[in-house]
Formats: sequence, C-alpha cells, structure tokens
Amino acid sequence: MKIAKYLILIFILLIMIFPLLWMFRVSLMPAGASISFQEFIRPLVTLSIYSDILTSGNMLKYFINSCIVGIAVTVGNILFCFMVGYSFSRFRYLGKNILFYSVLFVLMIPAHIMIIPLYLIIYKLGLYDSYWALILPFLVNPIGIFLVKQYIDTLPSAMEEAARVDGASELRILFRVVMPLCKPALAVLAIQVFLTNWNSFLFPFILTSSESVRTLPVGLALYQGHQAIDWQHLMAGSSLAVIPVLIIFLLFQRQIVSGITAGAIKQ
Amino acid sequence: MSSRGLTGRLFVSPWFITLIIFWLFPLLYSLYLGFTDYKLLSDSYKWVGFANFRALFSDQQFLQSLKNTFIFVIGTIPVTTIIALLLALLIDKKFPGRTIFRSGYFMPSITSMVVIALIFTNLYSRGGYIYLLADMLGLSPPENGFLLSNKTALFSVMAMDVWMSVGYYMLLFLAGLKSIPKELYEAAEVAGASMWRKFVSITLPLLKPVMLFIVVINTIKSFQVFIEIFVMTKGRYGSSTAVYFIYETGLNRFEFGYASAAAYILFIIIALFSIIQFGLLKQRGLR
Repeated sequence: MKIAKYLILIFILLIMIFPLLWMFRVSLMPAGASISFQEFIRPLVTLSIYSDILTSGNMLKYFINSCIVGIAVTVGNILFCFMVGYSFSRFRYLGKNILFYSVLFVLMIPAHIMIIPLYLIIYKLGLYDSYWALILPFLVNPIGIFLVKQYIDTLPSAMEEAARVDGASELRILFRVVMPLCKPALAVLAIQVFLTNWNSFLFPFILTSSESVRTLPVGLALYQGHQAIDWQHLMAGSSLAVIPVLIIFLLFQRQIVSGITAGAIKQ
Repeated sequence: MSSRGLTGRLFVSPWFITLIIFWLFPLLYSLYLGFTDYKLLSDSYKWVGFANFRALFSDQQFLQSLKNTFIFVIGTIPVTTIIALLLALLIDKKFPGRTIFRSGYFMPSITSMVVIALIFTNLYSRGGYIYLLADMLGLSPPENGFLLSNKTALFSVMAMDVWMSVGYYMLLFLAGLKSIPKELYEAAEVAGASMWRKFVSITLPLLKPVMLFIVVINTIKSFQVFIEIFVMTKGRYGSSTAVYFIYETGLNRFEFGYASAAAYILFIIIALFSIIQFGLLKQRGLR
C-alpha cells in the first residue's frame, strides 16, 4: 500500500518536473544537436551554449534588464506598500476609508482592461520604451498594501506611542520603530513582488519595443533563430530565466507558501 | 486637521498617485475610447456611440475568440480544481519526503509562463516528446504537431495550463485542509464513519470556501489567457482568445477604440461571473 502510494507520487513528480529537466538538458547539448531521445540520455554535457549566450547576442542584456527592473520594482514596493499600509493601519484622516476601498477595488480589476490605455498613457508621457515604463506603474501594488496593513493591524502600537512621547519624528518612527517589526511581512512581500515581476511578460512586452530595454521573458518570447528555432540557445536563455526563481524558491519556500495561502484564508 | 492626519496623508500619497494615474484614469480613458473611432493614423477621432460594440457583436473573429475563451474557462477550471484537490489529499498527511513532492508539484506554477510555453511548443511539435509519446500509444497525433492543427491547438494549450497551475491550487487546498479541526475526524471515527463518509461529510463541506475562492481567482485568470496563446500559436488554428484579439486589434492594427470596446465587453463578462460566484460564496458561507 505504502509502496503503491510512493510509486504514484513519484510518477506525478516526474510528470511535473520533466519539462524543466528537458529544458536544462537541451541547454547542455552542443549547438545544433538533434533533440532525439538518444541524445537526451547520452551522458554528454557541454556548457558551450552558455558561454555563447553570455558573450554574444542579447541574452545577457535581457537578463541584466530583468535584474534592474526587478530590483527597482521590489525596492519600491517594500518602501511604498509599507508606508501606505502603515498609514491605513495607524492614522485617521478624511477619505481614508474610500482610499482603502480603492485598494480592494483595484485588486479586482482584470489587467487586460489596462493594455490599451496604459500603452497610450505611457506613450504620451514620453516614457514608452524606457526602464521607467516598466517601473513607475508598478511601484506599489494593492496586494502588498493589503498584506502590510493586515500585518500592522496585529502589532501593538505601544512602542510607537512611546517613541512619539520621546519626541521622535514620524519618519523616524516609520523606519526605526515600525519597519523592523514588519520584517516578516516585508520579506513575504519582497519575494512575491520580485518573482511576479521577474516572470512578467504582458506589460514589459507592450510598453517597450527596442532590445536595449527588453526583459528576459520578452526577449525569449520574441527570440528568432537564424533559420529555424535554435532550441539549444533558446533553452539556455530560458534556464537563465528559471535558475534565479529556483534559487529563491529553495531559499524562501516558507515565505512563498505563506504569501500564497495568506491571501486565500483571509478572503 | 492635526499634524498626524497630515502625516498619514503623506504616507498614503504613493498609492493615491498610482491610483489616479495608472488605474482610475486608464480605466475611464479606455471606457471613453470604446465609444470613439480612435486609430493610430487618424489624429482626430470622434464619438461614435455604440458603433464599436455593435460591430463587435457581428465580428466573426471576435465572437470566435470569445467562444474560445469560454471553452478555455469551462474546460480547464473543473479539471484543474479536481486534480489540485486530489494532489492535496494525496500529500495532506505527514510522511517522509512530503516536502519534496509538494515543492516538485508546485514548481511549474512559479516558473515563467513564457518559458513553459516555449518548452511545450517543442514537446507538442512533430517529433517532440509528447508527440512521440502519443504516437507510441497509438493516439495518431496530427501530422504537423499538436499546435498546428485546428482540432488540437486550443486543447493542447489548455492541457498545458492545467499541468502548470494544479500545484498552485494544491497549496491553497492544503491550507484549507489544515484549517479543518482534527476533533471532527476523531468524533467521526468514534462513530465508526468510513473514509469516504468522512470525506463527504467533513472534508468536502469544510473545503467549500477555499474551493470557491480557487474557482473565482482561476476564472478571472483564465478569462484573460494571453501569453501562452501569443507564444505557442499566435492565435492561429482556431486558438485565438479574447485578450489575444484585444492585443491584435489594439497594438498590431492600432485600432484603439475598437480594441477598448472589446476589452470592456470582456471586463463586463468577468465582472458578471465574479458577482455570481461571490454570491454563491456568501450563500454557502451562511450554512
């Protein structure tokens, strides 16, 4: 019984990870090799394609662009979602409730409705085909605000009050008192934002046109080989897109899982 | 107003600015555009009333893409939900190696959709491994591969989508299973309930909120299927979807007004589905 269960589990596991194994295996083949099963199981591995894409072509450029945009958006979200979430949780002012409802409202807007207008706005602001187009609209996100607000709601405010009595400025309280307490929530937020942004295709695709600002997913989707599709190079580039995700996943699995399930249980 | 109120407003301002410039304005702007004949090459454009909407409802390409979107939603969601639930039940109890299986099953869903779509483009093609497997099993795959046939293109993309997302929903089901009080099962065991009985009378009813949440978010997501269509078929072989149509008319043919109207029709469909499903969620929640 137990063995049968393990066999089933392993069979499913193979189905789930085979395509990624296939990607890595193809990227380790010599250029132009046929992707036959004999070639697949042959114990011959070469890094020649990787040295190729890291020294010539645009793959490395796309990778760096993805890093620049991913890091900028993640830092922005940590800072801004934190500020906004803190404001919603601890302050009172006219219009706060409406603004908080606007967060929940935006959470439910399907992204496809933004394709045309965002393209036109970015174009008219003169930001089309620049890093700014890929960063500015995404610096603060409703899920992140919601996450931080819910978290700060559970923290006692005694330390902030004490700091305020001692005459600390609001900025000092924000960054020196509250932020350290929010580290667990901000870690979940940062990982989620980075992964989402790293894999993001739709908006980077419609808001840029030149290769100099293209991110890795867009570069891969628009990749053109010389004659037919050059699968070895394409899969090596794909591996560049997947390896950082795997590393983050292995290091921060707990945060990723809690980020996903937190949303589900709350709603 | 106190200085604290001012500070609070200052801290909320990043959201306020983003909300106005990148959410509310685009939302209203595209609604407005839907009623105009705005095209890239015409500097002046004019209000045309419901003309775009009327034209869309007799546009065969749009109707076909809408139909495909419905096929996608109705075809994938039940399958994804059931497989995700089965996977969750399979690895719910603690056993050696559980984390490995959970991580492995979940891995495809945090991988880039572009990369997954590229891999499957090869696997589905003539001579690709899925093609060869289907051939070996005597399923006689279409001559030029699964993605270059009217019969199989859309369904192949759907199958890949199920494969990719079951791990994600499995995690949500696992969280739901964890929140079921163990005492209920113990009490049922004392009363001599069978495994099946426990599943039907305890597990399933208590999983309903999570299940409906899964169906709602998966519905919203699936109505917007685009990336895999763009990468794998470019909407050919009868596989165009609504968002692909919006992209194609809006950003390839630059018919901004027409595309915006199409986007709003899809928006309304998604909103209606969400409202119905939220209604169900509430109703079930009361019981």
